[in-house]
Amino acid sequence: MSEMLSGAEILCRALVDGGVEVIFGYPGGAIMPFYHALPDHPRLRHILVRHEQAAAHAADGYARASGRVGVCVATSGPGATNLVTGLAAAHMDNSPVVAITGQVSRPMIGRDAFQETDIIGITLPITKKNYLVQDVTELAGVVADAMAVAVEGRPGPVLIDVPKDVQNQKIEYGAPQARARGQSRPQTPGASPGLEDGVHKAARLIAGAERPLIMVGHGVILAQAYAEVRALAEKTGIPVITTLLGISAFPDGHPLHLGMPGMHGEVHVNRAIQHADVIIGIGLRFDDRVTGNTASFAPQARIIHIDLDRAEIGKNVPVAVGIVGDARDITRRLLAAVEPRRCERWLEHIRGFVRTRAESYRGGLSPEAILASIYEASHGDCTIVTDVGQHQMWVAKLYPYQHPNSHITSGGLGAMGFAVPAAMGVHLARPSGTVWAISGDGGFQMNMAEMATMVQEGLPVKMAVFNNGYLGMVRQWQQFFHEKRYSCTPIWSPDYVKLAEAYGIPGYRVKDASELAETVGQANTQPGPALVEFMIEQEANVFPMIPPGGSLSEPIETAPAGATGD
Amino acid sequence: MPVPSPSPSAHTVAVLLDDALVTLNRAFGVLRTRNVPIEGLALHPSGTAGESRLTFVLKADAATADRVAQQFHKMMGVRSVMILANEDSTTEATR
Repeated sequence: MSEMLSGAEILCRALVDGGVEVIFGYPGGAIMPFYHALPDHPRLRHILVRHEQAAAHAADGYARASGRVGVCVATSGPGATNLVTGLAAAHMDNSPVVAITGQVSRPMIGRDAFQETDIIGITLPITKKNYLVQDVTELAGVVADAMAVAVEGRPGPVLIDVPKDVQNQKIEYGAPQARARGQSRPQTPGASPGLEDGVHKAARLIAGAERPLIMVGHGVILAQAYAEVRALAEKTGIPVITTLLGISAFPDGHPLHLGMPGMHGEVHVNRAIQHADVIIGIGLRFDDRVTGNTASFAPQARIIHIDLDRAEIGKNVPVAVGIVGDARDITRRLLAAVEPRRCERWLEHIRGFVRTRAESYRGGLSPEAILASIYEASHGDCTIVTDVGQHQMWVAKLYPYQHPNSHITSGGLGAMGFAVPAAMGVHLARPSGTVWAISGDGGFQMNMAEMATMVQEGLPVKMAVFNNGYLGMVRQWQQFFHEKRYSCTPIWSPDYVKLAEAYGIPGYRVKDASELAETVGQANTQPGPALVEFMIEQEANVFPMIPPGGSLSEPIETAPAGATGD
Repeated sequence: MPVPSPSPSAHTVAVLLDDALVTLNRAFGVLRTRNVPIEGLALHPSGTAGESRLTFVLKADAATADRVAQQFHKMMGVRSVMILANEDSTTEATR
């Protein structure tokens, strides 16, 4: 049976048909027909954010936590441009986000109309695909195609730009159309030519290796290859390194887990890479923050690279064996092909690289102690969403993750302001779980307006603010590499406890480690959102550190002479 | 995209893709964002309805040419990618 429907109504129906339940958005002129139709579709829960960037980050957080498409909506012009940072973050970290933007009416396009912007042009390099819908007849098919493109193969964001007059256009609407645009060529995971050959070559390399390592990245989380990776490690005794986005893909505290590599990786992790003779990289892209200077990265290692995206093989580091396919499928095949073995001497060798870090804290308020209190309060069962900077590295290195995909952060783009809105999305994907958004005092102030969203929409996000009065990571670089000239990094904060109260949220301030357990416990058990500010050492540093462009073999382990903190 | 090796030669890459402005725009964007050292660029109808052929010449070693081809291969709207690797065909393709 068919009926006359407007483009806006078709848009809502197509989202419902696509299984969408939550939309993060902000209304405005060019998207008003959509908002007019929305109340007729109660299955679509709309979360009114305070800035469109937060809508994109929240949709990203929702997508990462659920594995489903996260949807954000904005109007044309400033609404659309405010989405850009969130889409770039989703693009860099392969998160399936669908953004829907209003556009000025078709006859006005290209005339510099009020709130007109070429959002298609602006988002070309940060989307997998984007569409300007030229006619209402295309709309349902475009939405179905966008939902599929976002999740298939290597996931990523997609944008649909819908002119206002297309939203108002009426057509006879029948059964939901299948993907109308058939030209998309999904990347097929699994059997690529030479796959079995690659797996057997890899198995032979592993059998002959004396110092092998497994490095796992986000691809393992996206493919949910946890059991396979763990089985591979346990069958072969090969130690496992988790990149920033691979954290929680392998249980922290497992005897084979070494930790995070790269710029802020522990000394023994980076030394292991530099001494390895075979590296099995699964679902990572050997990003520069992982490799340091690629010319001196893992000089003795032959690299086996498993990735869904053929373009990643050999992009950043030369590989001995490249296998294109889904991390779970390939790891399973590799598991079947390898012989059981042990690596005790190699593990002993790596244990010899372990160093204790030299750091200073006040009031005993070390990052370890703060994170331990969050772990205790949540009984080790919460999702941690981090922002970007020093706290992000402390969390990555020190939080004892036990559950797969319980660590969410903006890795590739490194977008400050990510944590608070992304945590809202995580809550909606995991409503029965606890979510902590951990930020610094810089990143928190970028999107703290979202506390109003949490109150209005009933999103019980727990917020931790590591307050050192500085843009700490930049200050650390200034201390190490810019003669301690703290240019524009001291940052003033409001009274966060009073600020929380102004939003009707319980706020707490912790100055000493003795207050941690009780305060964090109270915040954790609040039925709604809560904020805890931790007054940490102003000039605390993240050690060790590989200087930008430096070799993994040459970490900075203490503040350089003449650049020590007071 | 890594810097081309010291002994580059000309490679011609032919990309068959949807004849849609947004797809072409995206393809040119890949050349720019991946810092591809192109020397020539041509766009023609491929002969198949709704399909264009984008041909470009880059001076790079075979591995770099392959990496560039892979970036196009995964682009939405791209139907096939070919590398034609010799000076003669390069001359033909840029004419």
